[in-house]
Amino acid sequence: MELFKKTLDPIVALAIIALLDVFLFLIVGAWTVGGGETMIAGLVAKYVLGAKTLARIPFWRLVFTPTWAYWKIYISLGMGFGAFVAAVLSKEFYWRVPRHLSEWVMITIGGLLMGIGIRMSFVCNVSTFFGLTPEMNLGGYLAVSGIVAGAWVGSLIYKTVLEA
Amino acid sequence: MITVTGQCVAAFVFGTTVGVLVQRSRWCNTAALRDAMLFKSYRNTKALLVGMMILTLGFTGFISVGNGNPMRFDVGLNQFVGLFLFGIGMVLAGACTVSSWVKTGEGNIGALWALLFLIIGMFAFSLVWSATYWPPAPATMTGQPNLSGLQFGFADALTLQQKTGIPAIAFGLVQFAALFGLYRAILRKERAMQGARGQVPSATRHSPSRTEAAVPESAVGAAMTAGGGVSGSLQEEA
Repeated sequence: MELFKKTLDPIVALAIIALLDVFLFLIVGAWTVGGGETMIAGLVAKYVLGAKTLARIPFWRLVFTPTWAYWKIYISLGMGFGAFVAAVLSKEFYWRVPRHLSEWVMITIGGLLMGIGIRMSFVCNVSTFFGLTPEMNLGGYLAVSGIVAGAWVGSLIYKTVLEA
Repeated sequence: MITVTGQCVAAFVFGTTVGVLVQRSRWCNTAALRDAMLFKSYRNTKALLVGMMILTLGFTGFISVGNGNPMRFDVGLNQFVGLFLFGIGMVLAGACTVSSWVKTGEGNIGALWALLFLIIGMFAFSLVWSATYWPPAPATMTGQPNLSGLQFGFADALTLQQKTGIPAIAFGLVQFAALFGLYRAILRKERAMQGARGQVPSATRHSPSRTEAAVPESAVGAAMTAGGGVSGSLQEEA
């Protein structure tokens, strides 16, 4: 199949994704990833700590009660599955492991900051660019300003590390 | 009304399609911002803008006729601060929420590690929230200003339509024009850069390779020796 033989133009890819996102918006809600990841975090915490312990933490009792019946989880799982299938069909699946300690440190700090940022703002980059802002929610503009400023600061740090 | 199972199935089909398209196109939200700022490379930025233009017309168009499920989030300073932290994190990790899942699906252990710590970060902030109850959870948002919670009420295309009587699509067209103007400005900048270099644009010359798509060539050598998050490790394997 031609799709798995050469790289797809990202403009075509994002145009198709946007059209599908409009359809998703009509039937259940716009594309988002942070909500599903939060629910996955809750389910992992429930498995590790136990349901009784987790229920003592107000956030997991009042805001996100862990359940598998939350549609946003399946967007995240679907993205991983779709990428796996595409990588296998295009013979691009192979294990890649960061080789330098600096990479592991940056990924660890970056992951923590992303998780804290999503929960503090109640939105992620996807709901910022593909949900709130196209709906012209004022919070989307604030979020875009924040992520652009953050990416600029992150780029300065990244550049410093690259040049070290 | 769609059932819970139907919602989950629709979400999985959507997510799978996104996973295939993002994997095949190498699109990355992190690169859309980072590469534009660091390397003046706009391959991912242009795709992001095209997606946002289509969505703006689609969402505001359907909102105009009373369809769709808009998000209801009060505007708050936490959105700026939270996404600021997120922006730093995604550049350091070399992956956003989408590319973390997509690169994990491709066998990238660094991306899986980023996801693991993203989950740990979420859990850590859930403990902070449980002690402070800030920011207000969506269920407690009122749509009205709540200055003690640094929340400024709710405003989007739907509220504009309700308050002014002007269809949301009219506001959507204004936003579409602004995004299109930005897209055109990027094209002009690219043409100017090509003119200065006397080169044919890479987007029309050939399909980008895995390495080019992750980070421009100028950064590859440095990233290979100094590391560069998930995308850095991806380059090493290219």
